[in-house]
Amino acid sequence: MFSINPGHAVGLLAGLIAVPAALVVLRRNRAWRAAPGTHQAAAVLMLVTAAVHLALIGHHLHEHPLTSALFLANGVLFIVLALSTGWRYWRLASSTMLVATIAGYVIYVVAGLEGPDQVGLATKLVELTALGLVLVPVRGERRPSFRRTRWVALGVALPALFVSMSASLWIVDLVRPDARHVHAGAVLQATNALPTQAQWDAANQLYRETKAAIAPFTDWRAAWAAGYRPGGSQTMPSTHWMNQRYVDAGYVMDPRHPQGLVYANSKHGPVLLGAMFQMKRIGEFGPDPGGPATAWHQHENICFTPLGFEFSLLTPTATCPLGAISISAPPMLHVWIVDNPGGPFAIDIDPKVVKAIDQA
Amino acid sequence: MIRPDTISTRPEAAFVLLLMQSVCWLIAGIAAAPFALGGELFMAGLAVATLLLALCTCLAGIGIVWRRRRARRIAIALEVVCPAGAAIGLLLPIGANSGPVSLLVNVALPIAVIVLLRKDRREAFS
Repeated sequence: MFSINPGHAVGLLAGLIAVPAALVVLRRNRAWRAAPGTHQAAAVLMLVTAAVHLALIGHHLHEHPLTSALFLANGVLFIVLALSTGWRYWRLASSTMLVATIAGYVIYVVAGLEGPDQVGLATKLVELTALGLVLVPVRGERRPSFRRTRWVALGVALPALFVSMSASLWIVDLVRPDARHVHAGAVLQATNALPTQAQWDAANQLYRETKAAIAPFTDWRAAWAAGYRPGGSQTMPSTHWMNQRYVDAGYVMDPRHPQGLVYANSKHGPVLLGAMFQMKRIGEFGPDPGGPATAWHQHENICFTPLGFEFSLLTPTATCPLGAISISAPPMLHVWIVDNPGGPFAIDIDPKVVKAIDQA
Repeated sequence: MIRPDTISTRPEAAFVLLLMQSVCWLIAGIAAAPFALGGELFMAGLAVATLLLALCTCLAGIGIVWRRRRARRIAIALEVVCPAGAAIGLLLPIGANSGPVSLLVNVALPIAVIVLLRKDRREAFS
């Protein structure tokens, strides 16, 4: 959802080029010049979305000719509408077309015919804005028809459409992540499909060395003395304790200097669950001796707040809650020293394991 | 149709953009709530603050349609903070999202609102 499908990049480029081109073309159109500013802006945005759809025809032509045909119809109709702002039924036709286009996209994504990406989302935002500009009543209209209905549509239907579209796209993205997006916000390092025997041996060696090296930190006081500090709320089931000195030093997968330790916040106090290696820079994955068994992961598009060091997810509209900022964490690799159903190098510890420790 | 040289429709256009932004905040506020239920206590406060911001943004938009000077001032102040915050996020090496949607919502939209709300001799805010 937060990446650009390479085949769709041309659509983004076309959309950007369309802005100045639309202004040049529409300035020559008498109906556009006589239209209210809101309608003028809506016409420009409709030409932008037309350009995006027309530019994407080639990408879909071989595999989905029907989609290409729909994109062609969509592009042509938006161009016609943008050039006919003086038409009596322009507002009705434009709003119908915009709603149909947005609904069509959501249906395509939910049906799995298309993956939500930045080009699709940006185009839908442009279309929603155009819809708002088409509907909004302005002062001094010559044909002030259905003003109350339009205010209701603007105040209720447009936000409802926006929220339902965002929720649908987000749910689809979370339910059907691609192969490298293992869970919300985590991108897995690219590796071979299955570990070889040599990779299993290397993974086991890393596990043994790490388990032995962090054994003294079973007592959290030893970890504290070594410079580890809780990196988040201790009201959560588990907390990462980070050693800033080791983070700054840039040790790479050194079992004697793991950048983080993970403790379960049990009623008996912190219980060591495992270690975490972390790289220094975003996008730089670490060495991967175990192949897919020890693949690193990077948390992207998460919202972080310094208040309690808490996290949430960036919304499809790239917005964080007030007081939180969008960040990505450098690649990390966990080594769990407790029995974890997902394995000793799994991205997450199973919540049932943490719960069992708490109840023990 | 209207005579565009006599009546400005900028406030209505600004209202639409503020409504869009308000919905973005609304989604962010709602999305933070499950994390609060999961034990992140501060996130509950942030979710409420974000929902209040969404409401404030929407009310500012309504005030602008009514040509209220105070609403215009509030909206401009709000919109100046948004791209400034986004710029800080993009300039710092924290891996902030810088995709087209982020740029549209956090940079282009606030700038467009500021441009629409600039002083206009045809527009009388009271």
